[in-house]
Amino acid sequence: MAKVAYYPGCALKERSSHLDTSARDSAVRLGFELDELPTWTCCGAVPPVSEERVMNLVAPSRILKDVRDSGRDVLITICDFCYNTLKRTNYSIRTNEITRKRINAFLADDEPERDYIEKKDAYWVDYTGEVRVVHLMEYLRDEIGYGNIREKLKRPLSGLKIAPYYGCVMLRPQNEIQLDEPENPSIIEDFIDSLGAETIRYPYRTECCGSYLSVSSPDASTRLCYRILTSAQQHGADAMVISCPLCFYNLDSRQKAIAEAYPDFKPIPVFYFTQLLSVALGVDEGRQGFERHFVDVAPVLDMILQGSGKGDRT
Amino acid sequence: MSERTGLAPPKSPPVRLTRETVSGGFKKRVIELSGQNMDSCYQCGNCSSGCPVAQEMDILPNRIMRLAQLGLKDDIIHSATLWICASCFQCTVRCPRGIDIQGVMDTLRQIALDEGVDHFGPDQIDPEQAASVPQPGLVGVYRKLST
Repeated sequence: MAKVAYYPGCALKERSSHLDTSARDSAVRLGFELDELPTWTCCGAVPPVSEERVMNLVAPSRILKDVRDSGRDVLITICDFCYNTLKRTNYSIRTNEITRKRINAFLADDEPERDYIEKKDAYWVDYTGEVRVVHLMEYLRDEIGYGNIREKLKRPLSGLKIAPYYGCVMLRPQNEIQLDEPENPSIIEDFIDSLGAETIRYPYRTECCGSYLSVSSPDASTRLCYRILTSAQQHGADAMVISCPLCFYNLDSRQKAIAEAYPDFKPIPVFYFTQLLSVALGVDEGRQGFERHFVDVAPVLDMILQGSGKGDRT
Repeated sequence: MSERTGLAPPKSPPVRLTRETVSGGFKKRVIELSGQNMDSCYQCGNCSSGCPVAQEMDILPNRIMRLAQLGLKDDIIHSATLWICASCFQCTVRCPRGIDIQGVMDTLRQIALDEGVDHFGPDQIDPEQAASVPQPGLVGVYRKLST
């Protein structure tokens, strides 16, 4: 089984561990293994803006350099924040010579301190951005292929209407991320299609859910999430699918606050894309961590388990 | 929830360009830190119309750009806009002049933080939320909104 270097990041280790578990389960069913890096640190969650804060790029660069040193050139991440941070760090190392030199100076400086790492090379080789940072969704699209996923489905989600939600940092800034079109993406739509479900088109799929405003200005985030969720519902969605732990928190747990602020609001279940993938590939639904969702997923899960409500939906 | 329900922000007071209000070197520093050519902004307003949190802002993004061009540092670093921007890059994607407006906003935030205008401290977080928000949210908010 092919092993691919995998950076889970902090959220997937604890507060969103169901995203991690379902991703690993799906990977095994699709014939590859997410091989977690032996040592990794926080990536910093948000990349710094300017040259002066180059220190903030050191942690993600160290992660990337460790991947290169282990002889691999692809690193998979799932959390959109980690993906954004690692990919943008890699971009500045590749394109900005001054950043590259400064970062390598920092990395070389602290290398002797890291005696817990097994070192193969005695001499120092600068990290120049050799590793390719790949989102799991991107890996499924480009390496596994949606056609292959379709063939391996045990429980196609036919009849289910799913609204894709991209959020902000998965696609933007587009010149550095280059995952898909920032304004009219299709990667999640195609993914939903490969699971046999129906994609719902609605206008707010790339609109921000409030991100970290959820902590500093929760009301602003409540308003944004209300708009996104109700728009998806008005267009007929049974469920939302997302990939980011923070989007999940905002769109799922925040539904409590939304229901308090907007009496007309009706809850809608939110899934990580890996959960739907893993259920569709036949992994036991008890392993998906559905009990950790705020909104009850049972109605949608029942539809999937009973052959996705084929026939009884008009 | 914001008390204002409409989309239009309150009418901003006219700016005064005097020796006291225009901060020398401010504009140069913003351009240097962000690497963006702010002068190419021609006030089309695409950033403000696409901004999902414009409703909560006291100064809209396009106006922030204009104030930055004029070097009106105090108006900018004491505005609520800096702390309500969620860094979603919608403005950057839609700018017809190719300015990374989010990058400029981040730069302005950094300058405000350097000046000691701190927005969000660890004591302000709801403990229940601190125990449940995924870590990227916590790390993100403190990296963006506090020194």
